[in-house]
Amino acid sequence: MLRAETVLGIGVSALVAVLVLPPLIAVMVTGVGAGFAPLRHTDLVLNTLLFGLLTTLGALVTGGALALALGAGVPGRTLLERLVVMPLYLTPLLTAMGWNWLGSPRSGLLNLLLHAAFGPHVTLDIVSPAGAMAVAALATAPLPFLLISDALRGLDPALLEAARVHGAMPARVFRRVTLPLLLPAGLAAAMLVFVQAIGLFSVPAVLGMPAGFYVATTEIYRLLESYPPRIADATAWGMLLLAIAALLTFTQSALLGRRSFVTITGKAFRPNLRSPAAPGLRAALAWLYVALATVLPLLALLWAASSAFVTADFRLMRFTAAHFAFVLFGYPKTWLAVGNSVLLGVLTASLVCLLGLAVSWVVLRARQAGRGVLDQLSMLPLSMPAMVFALGLLWVYVRVRLPIYGTIGILLLAYCTHYLPFGVRTSSAALRQLHPELEEAARVAGASWLRTMRRITFPLVQPAVLAAWVLLFVMAMQEVSSSILLYTSRSIVLSVAVFDLWENGNPSDVAALGFLQLAASFIVVSLVLGLRQRRGVT
Amino acid sequence: MSAGAVSVQALLVAHGTVPAVRGISFEARAGEVLTLLGPSGCGKTTTLRAVAGLEAPREGRIAIDGRTVFDAARRTNLPPERRGLAMVFQSYAIWPHMTVFENVAFGLRARGVADGDLAGAVRRSLDLVGLGALAERPATRLSGGQQQRVALARSIAGDPRVILLDEPLSNLDAQLRLAMRAEFKALQRRLGLTAIYVTHDQEEALVLSDRVLVMRDGAIEQAGTPAEIHDTPRSRFVAEFVGVRNILPCEVAEAAALLPGGLRLPVREAAPDGPAAVCFRPISVQLFPHAAPGAHPATVVAATYLGDFMQYELRCGELAICARGLPRPDFAEGAPVFWSVPADACFLVAT
Ligand SMILES: Nc1ncnc2c1ncn2[C@@H]1O[C@H](COP(=O)(O)OP(=O)(O)OP(=O)(O)O)[C@@H](O)[C@H]1O
Ligand SMILES: [Mg+2]
Repeated sequence: MLRAETVLGIGVSALVAVLVLPPLIAVMVTGVGAGFAPLRHTDLVLNTLLFGLLTTLGALVTGGALALALGAGVPGRTLLERLVVMPLYLTPLLTAMGWNWLGSPRSGLLNLLLHAAFGPHVTLDIVSPAGAMAVAALATAPLPFLLISDALRGLDPALLEAARVHGAMPARVFRRVTLPLLLPAGLAAAMLVFVQAIGLFSVPAVLGMPAGFYVATTEIYRLLESYPPRIADATAWGMLLLAIAALLTFTQSALLGRRSFVTITGKAFRPNLRSPAAPGLRAALAWLYVALATVLPLLALLWAASSAFVTADFRLMRFTAAHFAFVLFGYPKTWLAVGNSVLLGVLTASLVCLLGLAVSWVVLRARQAGRGVLDQLSMLPLSMPAMVFALGLLWVYVRVRLPIYGTIGILLLAYCTHYLPFGVRTSSAALRQLHPELEEAARVAGASWLRTMRRITFPLVQPAVLAAWVLLFVMAMQEVSSSILLYTSRSIVLSVAVFDLWENGNPSDVAALGFLQLAASFIVVSLVLGLRQRRGVT
Repeated sequence: MSAGAVSVQALLVAHGTVPAVRGISFEARAGEVLTLLGPSGCGKTTTLRAVAGLEAPREGRIAIDGRTVFDAARRTNLPPERRGLAMVFQSYAIWPHMTVFENVAFGLRARGVADGDLAGAVRRSLDLVGLGALAERPATRLSGGQQQRVALARSIAGDPRVILLDEPLSNLDAQLRLAMRAEFKALQRRLGLTAIYVTHDQEEALVLSDRVLVMRDGAIEQAGTPAEIHDTPRSRFVAEFVGVRNILPCEVAEAAALLPGGLRLPVREAAPDGPAAVCFRPISVQLFPHAAPGAHPATVVAATYLGDFMQYELRCGELAICARGLPRPDFAEGAPVFWSVPADACFLVAT
């Protein structure tokens, strides 16, 4: 009916279809074409499933425990809530490297301390299948934490109070009322973490490969790194990951319906989940997680980046700025990678926010035929591990030969598609909070569609979208799984440079570069938030 | 072209495949208040939104001030901003990131009013609703009644001819509702606005309107002046909706209703012989403690004190009758009583 909306609807649908479908179809077609070669390596298939399963279990238990511990109110809760999600910013790659310096059997800092204290037989071996899973669980726990916290917030306290009033003991209320009510969020989180875990490249690469523990993603990497690259075999593995993820998504939506996907949007009141028992213990649990997932790996990183050589003997420790100097001035890839990464981060975050807002507006507000399809389509990347998607892109652009191949353009495409569901989720949560009549009132008052968007919708969703922008920027700055397949020497990004140095360079230089990566994110995010504050004041 | 300020013809609106408005036609004449009255879900809001251009109707034609704004046959469909209307939303839709002043100025700016004239126009409409002092208040720091006034000021700022209101008073408490009702009526008269007013409150409809359309399931059940709707409902549905409590199935014969148990009630308007329902309001029932000419014996089943009057449930043979009387003298539960109802208070509707 109304022209601008129709144009937007059609344009957005076409764009999303072009982004999502070709790589997906490519993976499916080539994957099936390559036959079921991977399934012969049953050990790898089992490894992948085991890694996914145990990581999910660990992350779910950790994240759920954290959500329940903090949800009941503990001393320093606001601070803890922020610290607990830090691994999202630190990324699995740096967490894994940090833990490698802490727990590698011969030179890990913790092991050196253990050896000094208890002799050479007491060793913590983090470079092992179990170590990889533990670190992966630590790194992905913030996801279930966020989802389950949201569900807790959405719980109507009256439900719990009613159970208490009817004579149920607190433990019984928890078991019979709280847990079942949290089940949908728990399942959704489990699905999300599992898909993330089987698609995770960095942790198994850093902590699994050296121990001879291969999973599908590291196998894809190995196949593509071999000469000549065995793209067809790699794609078959991609197809396997895709099939598992799709099966899970399908099962989950069949079990729960689509409602469980929706982020909580209602009034943000905090349920008072019975007066918290043992607040100190709860806080201690959260602090332990913060120490294991963020503080220790970061300290190890700092220690490795500034030590002249690796030792746990304090008398022998020498600190140096040489590694920082090397990555800043000596290493030829650094500044190219910084430029590419920052540019990609800014572009990805901005485009995903814009497209996410457009998609969610069309889905929620426009009376467009087929908007349900658009909604589903934009959520598809959720069940597509980044590496699989990158494989599909490779396949498509090797054939289509668009000029973006070998530039950061193809990375941008991969990032935007991969993070699209996140953009759509956050903006639809924000849009849902806006009564549609706010926009309609502007239209009736004489404002065009565009003016309504500019003056009413954008300003009102801006805080939520800005928060999403920051997280998207940080995530894009640190994406490894698809970048590792799509980069070329001209389009190298920081995370890839870190991984590259990891494989071929001095461990201390890697740590220094990892720090630089964190610093670059931090600086840009501070700039953006600072700018906004200044604008907000006037 | 019709003389109506708003003319709607054969309007059909569907949400998905379910029609919410099924081909209705009506006209709001210049300067009158036309009310859409009906129970929840009957399509009032949908109709109003179609007039505003916020819904895409399947069929029909809508003209405002003689200008066609929607015509399914000719694929005309002006967007809301080009229909020159004002609208007050049920949620008020006050923009929370603006001050009261900015809220009122928004529409004027969008329609290209020069900055020089802006302040004056905003001030005038804020004064009209008695909010002149609050112009610089952030819109989030207003009471419900104040928000309602801002919404009203915002809608009249652009000197509209036609204003649409969707249950504007339903979020206010009872006292404020009465006050705002009177204020709105005065403002509408003073500015000569044509208003289409949606409500499900029959009292509000009767007090405010020049004409009332009673809607049911997306169709117009009855149209008329408030007095016509109140006194002469044409169907059982309308009768129930405007508070006629006694609706008794009967046989019509010789201008009277024959009720089960041999009762005969004369009615004010004859109808063809056959089955029908005879209707009268509780207030029309006269009660006597002793036998009286033309009165029927009954028993008081329940007596409820309602302040200004008593409400009685009577049993008269198989019939249940609802009646009202003064609080004194009252009839005790279980007491015998005699009732009658004058012929001009009884009317017939089809069953
Ligand atoms: N966006 C929508 N999608 C689907 N159905 C809708 C939508 N909006 C309204 N309906 C349906 O259309 C019918 C008419 O709705 P409408 O809002 O016009 O009713 P109403 O008379 O204003 O009711 P109320 O007094 O409750 O506001 C209802 O059956 C309603 O369920
Ligand atoms: Mg309504």
